[in-house]
Amino acid sequence: MSNTKVSTYRERVEYLIGNSMRFAGLYGTGQGQSVASVFVDQSGKAMLELCEVVDAKVPSIVDIVPAAQWDEREAHDLYGIVFEGHEPLRPLVNHDSRLEKWTVATTGGDVYQVAVGPTHAGIIESGHFRFHVVGDRILHLDTRLFYKHRGLEKASETKDLTSGIEYVKRACMACSVANGLSYAHACEVILGLRPSMELRRVRTILLELERLWNHLNDLAQGCAGVGMAVGNAAFCYLVEQARQINNKVSGHRFLAGSIRVGASSISVDSQELEVLSGLLSEMRTSVESHWRELTFNSSFQDRLQGVGILNREKALKLGIVGPCARASGIIQDARNGCDWLAYDDFQPVLTREGNGDVKSRFEQRIEELWQTFDLLDGLLSRPISPANCDPTGVPAPVGVGIVEGARGQTTCVVESNGASIGRLHLRSASYANWPGVACCSVGNLLPDFPLINKSFELCYACVDR
Amino acid sequence: MFTLIRDLSKVRKLIDLDKPTMRKSLSIRHCDAGSCNGCEHELSLLSSPCYDFQRYGLSIVASPRHADVLLVTGTVTRTMREPLLRAYSSMPEPRKVVALGDCAIDGAVLGDNDIIIGAVEEILPVDLTIRGCPPSPDQVIDGMLELLATLGPK
Repeated sequence: MSNTKVSTYRERVEYLIGNSMRFAGLYGTGQGQSVASVFVDQSGKAMLELCEVVDAKVPSIVDIVPAAQWDEREAHDLYGIVFEGHEPLRPLVNHDSRLEKWTVATTGGDVYQVAVGPTHAGIIESGHFRFHVVGDRILHLDTRLFYKHRGLEKASETKDLTSGIEYVKRACMACSVANGLSYAHACEVILGLRPSMELRRVRTILLELERLWNHLNDLAQGCAGVGMAVGNAAFCYLVEQARQINNKVSGHRFLAGSIRVGASSISVDSQELEVLSGLLSEMRTSVESHWRELTFNSSFQDRLQGVGILNREKALKLGIVGPCARASGIIQDARNGCDWLAYDDFQPVLTREGNGDVKSRFEQRIEELWQTFDLLDGLLSRPISPANCDPTGVPAPVGVGIVEGARGQTTCVVESNGASIGRLHLRSASYANWPGVACCSVGNLLPDFPLINKSFELCYACVDR
Repeated sequence: MFTLIRDLSKVRKLIDLDKPTMRKSLSIRHCDAGSCNGCEHELSLLSSPCYDFQRYGLSIVASPRHADVLLVTGTVTRTMREPLLRAYSSMPEPRKVVALGDCAIDGAVLGDNDIIIGAVEEILPVDLTIRGCPPSPDQVIDGMLELLATLGPK
């Protein structure tokens, strides 16, 4: 953690960005006395840049780091911090204000608004979308989330580090392993613990199992997005299989509760292991066969190509993460170089013609599924036994955990106050990626929005917290 | 396409789901009042080949105007209170409310009490609760059939 004595906060941020550091979140600390921004270097090491709040104000960094837009709006809503230079500083979490405050007014004679949500015509989480359209063409999209803001971060404060994981678990079931791991690692840094080799292996297995069901689910949703019921049914069957595998490994269909601070109680004997390997290899064969079918189905493919393009430049600017960033040609994956999980020789893959359209986002997930099957194959080579951490002897006041979940990089910062939580900040991959959905929908047809949205397949729950 | 259809029909034979005995139906409107996404992910498997809940006459409908049942997930946040009440008031009578999952039943398990109202029961009359975190698709179907059995002609 460095303070801003020598140069100003903005100069420091400019320096970090100029030296290939990536922005990974910004939040208000304590009672709003300061703002902390998280930056990550190429090897995945995180650092915090602090800026003191003076007269409820700090300089904004959105012109240097556009990806900080939502973070600054959130810190304003939750801590009353004004970010000078961030104009207009529209509300994000706060829902009390009038429409004009958070959305852009329509301009032009034939332009009208289409308001969708917060409740939706299907099984979808609650959130509001406001489209500006001419005919069927989208001119602008404002997304309004945080209907499900439950104040989990605030509620976790003063709880002890070990039980804090319950709050992170509640944030989102679909990302329970990724979020849980980022929290557990942050706590282990604080407590001066290093996971044993066996703990690294079991955690990596859990993380890859979470990626497996999520990617399969994304493909099922993709088929639903183009109205291809048979593809949806085929992939939904595989999602069910994956949940049953999760249940066999952890006793929970979503692997919830499998991540604990400092330890793991999961055990899988050689007999169970054989069953698992058999199921996974069967599943791989099915995915290969289904994907081949979809690849040669022209009515499916026609809907994907050239739709919802998020080019590399925009994706970098918005700080997009995970498969959606890689589909836009950005080689960035937090598994690469991660030295506290079992990703020894991991190299990220990129789909061949990744131009950032819906098609590349689905193809990217398929490429990653093969990687996940390979990783699981290697990791499940011997029975799993309960595992612990070893002490490093070097505790720290603050811990940062960075994990590549199914949707991309999740960052968790924990500031300790003795053995309890002083401040917990969870920035999930979905949080980073929502602005990308709004950005790449512009210029597309309104009927293609569900498909574009499904090609990101983001959570609302872990954004809202 | 043919391979996909063939594979699916194999899967259906393999699963060999029971034939329903009741000849009734329920139209369900889902409303997420503050869930963690788990209930939604399980609900989205209801129409998959493993569960095929449509065979019981159960379906998720696109508007509360078409619905017999309001299926509520999650602990109710202050912000979702109004949309939830509006969905309920849009439904034609008779209407039923189902609280799905432990959060919807017990209310704020964890979270900031200033911004959470709590259990669905706090603001709506609940006719059925389905426990679980999240309830599995089987548990959801069992619950809905229990409700269905109490309705209409015997």
